[in-house]
Amino acid sequence: MTAAASVVAEPILAVRNVDKRFPGVHALKDVSIEIGRNEVVGLVGENGAGKSTLMRILAGVYQPDTGEILLAGRPTRLAGASDAMRQGIGMVFQEQSLIPNLSVAENIYLGNEARFTRFGRIDWSALYAAARRQLAKVEVDVDPRMRAADLDVATRQMVELAKALTLEEAERGRLVILLDEPTSVLEQADIDILFARVRALKARASFVFISHRLDEVLALSDRIYVMKDGAVVAEMKAAEADLHRLHGLMVGRGLQAEYYREPLQKPFRPDVVLAAENLGCGGAYRGVDFALHAGEILGIAGVIGSGREELTRTIAGFLPHDAGRLTIGGEDVRLTSPAQAVDRGIGYLPRERRTEGLVLFLPVAANITLASLDGLARSGLIDAGREAELSREWVRRLGIRTPSIGALCLNLSGGNQQKVVLAKWLNAKARVLIFDHPTRGLDVGAKEEVYELVRAITADGIAVILTSDTLDETIGLSHTVLVMRDGVVTHRTDASPGHKPQQVDLIKYMV
Amino acid sequence: MSSAEQAPARFDVNRLRPWLPVFTLVGLMLVVGVTQPEFLTPNYLIELAGDTATLFVLAAGVSFTIMLGGIDLSIQAMASLASVLIALTIGRIGYGSFVLALLVGALSGWAGGMAHVKLKIPSFIATLAVGGVLTGVALVISHERSITLSEDERAYLWWTTGAFFGVPREVMIAVVLLIFGDIVQRRTRFGRYSEAIGAGEAAAYASGVKVDRQKVIAFILSSAFAAFAGVILAGRLMSGSPTLANEQLLPAIAAVVVGGTAITGGVGSIWRTLVGALIIGVIRAGMTFVGVNIFAQQIVFGAVLILAVAITIDRSKIPIVK
Amino acid sequence: MLDQQSSVLPAAAPRPARAAGRSARADRRIQRLLAVWAPVLVLILLCVVIAAINPRFLTVGNFVRIAQSAMIPLCLGLGATFIIIMGSIDLSVEGVVALSAVATSLLVLNGANGNNLGVLGLLIVVAIGALIGLINGVIHVKLGIPSFMATLGMWFVAGGVGNALLGGIAVRVNDQLVRAFALERFLGLPWGVWLALAALAVAYAIQDHTRLGRYMYALGGGEDVAALSGIPIVRVRILTFTLAGVFYALGGILSAAQLGLGNALVGQGRLFTTITAVVVGGTALSGGEGGVLQTLVGVMIVSVLSNGMVLMGIPPSWQTAVQGLMIIVAVALSIDRKRIRIVK
Repeated sequence: MTAAASVVAEPILAVRNVDKRFPGVHALKDVSIEIGRNEVVGLVGENGAGKSTLMRILAGVYQPDTGEILLAGRPTRLAGASDAMRQGIGMVFQEQSLIPNLSVAENIYLGNEARFTRFGRIDWSALYAAARRQLAKVEVDVDPRMRAADLDVATRQMVELAKALTLEEAERGRLVILLDEPTSVLEQADIDILFARVRALKARASFVFISHRLDEVLALSDRIYVMKDGAVVAEMKAAEADLHRLHGLMVGRGLQAEYYREPLQKPFRPDVVLAAENLGCGGAYRGVDFALHAGEILGIAGVIGSGREELTRTIAGFLPHDAGRLTIGGEDVRLTSPAQAVDRGIGYLPRERRTEGLVLFLPVAANITLASLDGLARSGLIDAGREAELSREWVRRLGIRTPSIGALCLNLSGGNQQKVVLAKWLNAKARVLIFDHPTRGLDVGAKEEVYELVRAITADGIAVILTSDTLDETIGLSHTVLVMRDGVVTHRTDASPGHKPQQVDLIKYMV
Repeated sequence: MSSAEQAPARFDVNRLRPWLPVFTLVGLMLVVGVTQPEFLTPNYLIELAGDTATLFVLAAGVSFTIMLGGIDLSIQAMASLASVLIALTIGRIGYGSFVLALLVGALSGWAGGMAHVKLKIPSFIATLAVGGVLTGVALVISHERSITLSEDERAYLWWTTGAFFGVPREVMIAVVLLIFGDIVQRRTRFGRYSEAIGAGEAAAYASGVKVDRQKVIAFILSSAFAAFAGVILAGRLMSGSPTLANEQLLPAIAAVVVGGTAITGGVGSIWRTLVGALIIGVIRAGMTFVGVNIFAQQIVFGAVLILAVAITIDRSKIPIVK
Repeated sequence: MLDQQSSVLPAAAPRPARAAGRSARADRRIQRLLAVWAPVLVLILLCVVIAAINPRFLTVGNFVRIAQSAMIPLCLGLGATFIIIMGSIDLSVEGVVALSAVATSLLVLNGANGNNLGVLGLLIVVAIGALIGLINGVIHVKLGIPSFMATLGMWFVAGGVGNALLGGIAVRVNDQLVRAFALERFLGLPWGVWLALAALAVAYAIQDHTRLGRYMYALGGGEDVAALSGIPIVRVRILTFTLAGVFYALGGILSAAQLGLGNALVGQGRLFTTITAVVVGGTALSGGEGGVLQTLVGVMIVSVLSNGMVLMGIPPSWQTAVQGLMIIVAVALSIDRKRIRIVK
């Protein structure tokens, strides 16, 4: 869609007829969007729709092949991220982008220390004072001398926002801040703070907001652009938009009512595969009791600090418990390494898929068999033929889209990477799978495929422990939900189809 | 399921990339051969292969540790110590001295590996320190002298020197170790795990790979290969000395990297190390052949090394160069 | 189904850094502090043990001896520290030291030719060191070669040039100024030691008070982020290598002073002792952590150990072995083991 006439009066930032290609993919096709003053523009679309590419062009990280960028009506060239920053465009990145060993103040002013430098010498007190002022803008109380590595995730995201706001001082009211999936690492309470800050800051800046969570985009944005396959397919005011319409525009088909495939949720079997009795680990969690049955999906809800992360890491073998009992198949165990957990039939699909889930530079086949090589090497040597056979089988069964089983996992999309991780554990005959934020960073279509797969494997008797991004997903998928707060289980509820609790019911046990 | 769109049948530079080290090797040989044609005679080339064999054995050993992202800086000390052990014990236990040398190699590799995984000391430092210990031991037991082998003693080393139907025995040993190394890397679980650990240790760990064990195995292999190299050297030089292999450490590592194995691990193979060792060998011999001034040889070696790496490095697999 | 959740929560008041998170971070900070101070404790322990075995360790004369043996490793360590903080490595130390020592001996008043360039000669040597460092950086960055290989190659090149210049002879240094570094004292310590300390002060100022220093840490801790924030990665890399070359050249000048000769072998063995000192002091090989003050401690540990082994009567051939074991112990103690999951 080309914007023939201006949608917004006096847009502060606009791209016109921008086209961008990468080897093998046409990322942006004749895209035009406008961002007005003091507004939040939402950008939605499936993975591969071009949102991130567009953002990076706006941020100066990529250059468009054709088309122009207009800043306050004047054609501009953004020669790189720092050039864009000088012209008033800043980006808060999706994955944490603070340098952990530097202080908060240094991170906020990273690349901009010149104004605190005299005769080559850095004026530290001026730097810290300025940093404090920035932090006040996002209402975060943290010592600017503290190392970024020592902060918790939510605070770090706020510091990144504070960093983006430093541009305010450089530009005269012509500030555009690009938020690339800022909420995927945040818990709900922090998301609320972020949104409140963005709304307050609208008076001073415009925002472009990418998120996979359509409800958030609807809540925060003034206007929304929908992208599909590299082109802008729709533009509308947020007030006139709704989930179904957005979803339909994004994927080209209607939103299925049974998003979480609830009709496929079968009752679980009576045999207990894993049980925790008064389980505890240091100050992280204590007194946890639950029994996990074959075919059951146990969802654990909680905010950061609730102990649910540590609990799942214990079961995955990363964090041995020091109190209570953990039994697997009736046997009392203490897992001191993931290898031990794997030997006992536990598989872990980590939230850090690209670093902990897969070896990106190894081919699909190697990743699928990584946890089950013993079975392929009876004679001491790996049976390459059988490996290829098994890999092809899994690729077929899970619908993994890859040029071949020899392709590097690096080149697969997020959803397909997740399927490879799943294939790895299924090939290893795992009976308990831990899904840690399984649909993080995946688009709607990929999420639905994951949900189908989860239903399929539980129907086969595999038990699942689920810690999810959203309460909604937890409730929708699980048979049973545990709620944790400050290290203890505060609530336990049945979530079988027909008995699904409301989010409202659970939230009060979480905070 | 659709395949991702492939580029139309165009000349794909990336397919050529794995062959760059070989092209470099051939290129270097031609450069030398053009100025001095005797270089390219089969006789000389075979001799060169024999000379390069020990370098290859050392490089092949250390490449096991480099594959999983570590390094072994004790190989030259181990080789020297092995030669000393041979010289001291071959008279009394004959062939048993080779077994002894290999056992000591395995033990030292085990010790270095354990220091690395249990104490969490970077392999650079751990193996450096172990190397110091090995050198110290070699100095003490040899009384800081070189020990020449007597006629009878040399007889036991018949299998490391001379030629068999025109092929130098060192080359045959190198070929055997090459095949062994190739099988280990491509066909064993250890080889697969090494690749995974080098390319993505966090994922390997989370997938249940017993990372510590694989690392120790790599160090044992590296040291054992180094001991083997020491044995061969003892045969060639007919003596053992605590400083025998001192100059061999960096050429060995250079051989691994020039062949295209990433110094950070995950990418590489023993064949690459073979090509790398040959490149180093050709450079060294070639310089003498071409008549490079002896003082300038060091300079030329360094410059050609840099050039060779610049050409052979596979930048598509190494995201950030540190 | 996909309801908006925000209306359900109470209005969020501005809140400080979360309490639960804070205590977890406090734990890590304490652990890190311990790891940072561990090398100092090791040094103290070492001194105590040696002094207990041989009280002559604690004499002024011995302290001067230690300082003398530490002045060159300190200069070298300063350069190496900057490179390692960036996450790279520099193997060319020995080559630059050799070349600098040789160049020094040939440029100042010496026994082989008629040159007598004095201070100008020393400045030229420093410039040479900077040049080698510059070449290191350029090769590394422009040719895209890992620093390991680039500096390995330059080691051979620089060392080779040094060898070639000498042509196989050793040149006597006759210049009084240069010899003064080793022979003349100020407040009891040789001038060379004061030069090394001055170099330390300069290095510290660069590390903590200039943008270059902070950018070194940025590159070591998060290069991609640094690049996106507009930090000139290429320039920082090249400058750091150049700077390191300057420090190595200083070490080479002091070597020539100490030996009284220009000899291409002066650098031998220095690489590993330098890197060992840096790591033992607490600077991580992975980059982003540590600093020149830590390297000072590391250099002291290595020097005290060498000195101590002689005082304790350990036979020379055992010394290498003992050094190796000591290094393992020292590094094992100072590594923050709980924090590091992946060690390479």
